[in-house]
Amino acid sequence: MGTIATIHEMLVKKQVSCTELTQRYLDAVEQANPALNAYVNVTPDTALATAAAVDKKIAAGEEIGALEGVPMTLKDNMSTKGIETTCCSKILTGYKPIFDATVWEILQEQNAVLLGKTNMDEFAMGSSCENSCFGGAANPFDTNYVAGGSSGGVSSAVGGNIAAYGLGSDTGGSIRQPASFCGVVGLKPTYGAVSRYGLIAYASSLDQIGPITKTVEDASLVFDAIAKKDKRDSTSVGGGNTYATLNRDIKGMKIGIAREYLDGVRDDVKEATLAAAEVYKSLGAEIVYFDLPVLKFALPVYYIIACAEASSNLGRYDGIRYGYKTAHYTGTHDMICRTRSEGFGEEVKRRILLGTYVLSAGYYDAYYKKATDLRGTIISAFNKAFEQCDVILAPTVPMTAFEKGHAVSDPIETYLTDICTVPVNIAGLPGVSVPCGFNAKGMPIGMQLIGKSFGEAQILNAAYRYQQAAPEKFRDTKWGVKL
Amino acid sequence: MVTREDVENIALLSKLFVPEEELDGLTKSMQEIIDFADAINNAPASAEGFDCINNLSNVFREDEVVPSYPSEEILRNAPAQAEDHFLVRNRE
Repeated sequence: MGTIATIHEMLVKKQVSCTELTQRYLDAVEQANPALNAYVNVTPDTALATAAAVDKKIAAGEEIGALEGVPMTLKDNMSTKGIETTCCSKILTGYKPIFDATVWEILQEQNAVLLGKTNMDEFAMGSSCENSCFGGAANPFDTNYVAGGSSGGVSSAVGGNIAAYGLGSDTGGSIRQPASFCGVVGLKPTYGAVSRYGLIAYASSLDQIGPITKTVEDASLVFDAIAKKDKRDSTSVGGGNTYATLNRDIKGMKIGIAREYLDGVRDDVKEATLAAAEVYKSLGAEIVYFDLPVLKFALPVYYIIACAEASSNLGRYDGIRYGYKTAHYTGTHDMICRTRSEGFGEEVKRRILLGTYVLSAGYYDAYYKKATDLRGTIISAFNKAFEQCDVILAPTVPMTAFEKGHAVSDPIETYLTDICTVPVNIAGLPGVSVPCGFNAKGMPIGMQLIGKSFGEAQILNAAYRYQQAAPEKFRDTKWGVKL
Repeated sequence: MVTREDVENIALLSKLFVPEEELDGLTKSMQEIIDFADAINNAPASAEGFDCINNLSNVFREDEVVPSYPSEEILRNAPAQAEDHFLVRNRE
């Protein structure tokens, strides 16, 4: 499998040069992308220039870091200086940032090989990647199914071996849900662990950047690299130190299952999650059941807060400073309204309208204020739950990947797919999705391990021990580079 | 109850045009989402409230003067520019 560890070893042992390896990935992108639609912008020049620099280092006998020379990708909402960054929205067509996101700055210092920018739901609003102005990304297990969203492109690319890893962003499940659909690992870090500087904002109190990888140890390596305090994001705290404790014994670890997380979940997903609990038992962990009734309010709370913040964050797109501008207009107000109406897609407009509604006079107290109060209640409920257990085990998504075109028809039905992922964002907690089985059609099922605030080391430790005990759940696809 | 007038009003506040033929559909879809959001009004009142995640507190710092980005670089992304400025609308 093309993991970070495998690639690092091959480079160090000079079994392949970084330039050859990068070229293999670029060729694989060219071959697989027409079917997967994972990449929206391929950057061969940037990739090959970095690869040449890594080869030079290796030839000079210098030591290289774990992520050095490893081909990877970034979701198209992370700012990359001089490289078009669109959020897969018509309104940002042609926009080339003049600065780098902090995560990209960090990875460039480590000579990460950027193969290109990957597909997403427009402004990260969606659960199927089909809200992208470039069309959705396909699932590498079966291209008739969606990759999930919003980080569908990264998940499709990693699952399809046309990137060794990638960075996604998660506001209500956008890393974990597509990771679950595509049979890969996706970590949503604690709010504040990773700098959001240069991440194009959707809902600032919920957004977090995190890795999507083939294995748990890769997620840990990437997380440790990017989780640094950044003075340009005043909410950033840092805290990446998980790799050293990955293999720790989990005997006696208390793994909690909140019954509400299993309500309404499809049978195959429920069975796979409970089977994972059995694996944990065999590893010496203790399974604790409890109730978390406040979870039933998580979804409306999430949609109210996320849309309210989005309506404010997306106010900046006016056709004046960057991106798309309408061709014909009669005055300034008309120009801005036309630009926004033509530039934003349907779902983005719907969420801006909903956000404006819940923030407007007369509705603020009933919706926005009430939702933020409930957010406090949800946080307290999680704190209480963590008095009884160390880690919470839950399904990542109530179902497996849906067929293309299914999600677009009904917004509320689509919102319901986020029911297991949004509580973590509301409470700012870390959560990792790990492959834990397959349905009758061979589509992947993911489970979610939720930790205490800044408890990434603990959930990754639990995830790693599971991966060691159940390696057959980590299946590769037919696509891309085989190493 | 979300009315057509509500949707027209929030569209104006959001600086979005809603074509007349989409107004009824959008009103219905907004009503459905609001009905769904109304579930929170069945929740117990919380005494706790919410300030921020992870007990973050406001971060103050000295106001350091650092070089800004060159204006020509920033203007390169503008759909229209004139004399070192953003052009908001075409001149008549």
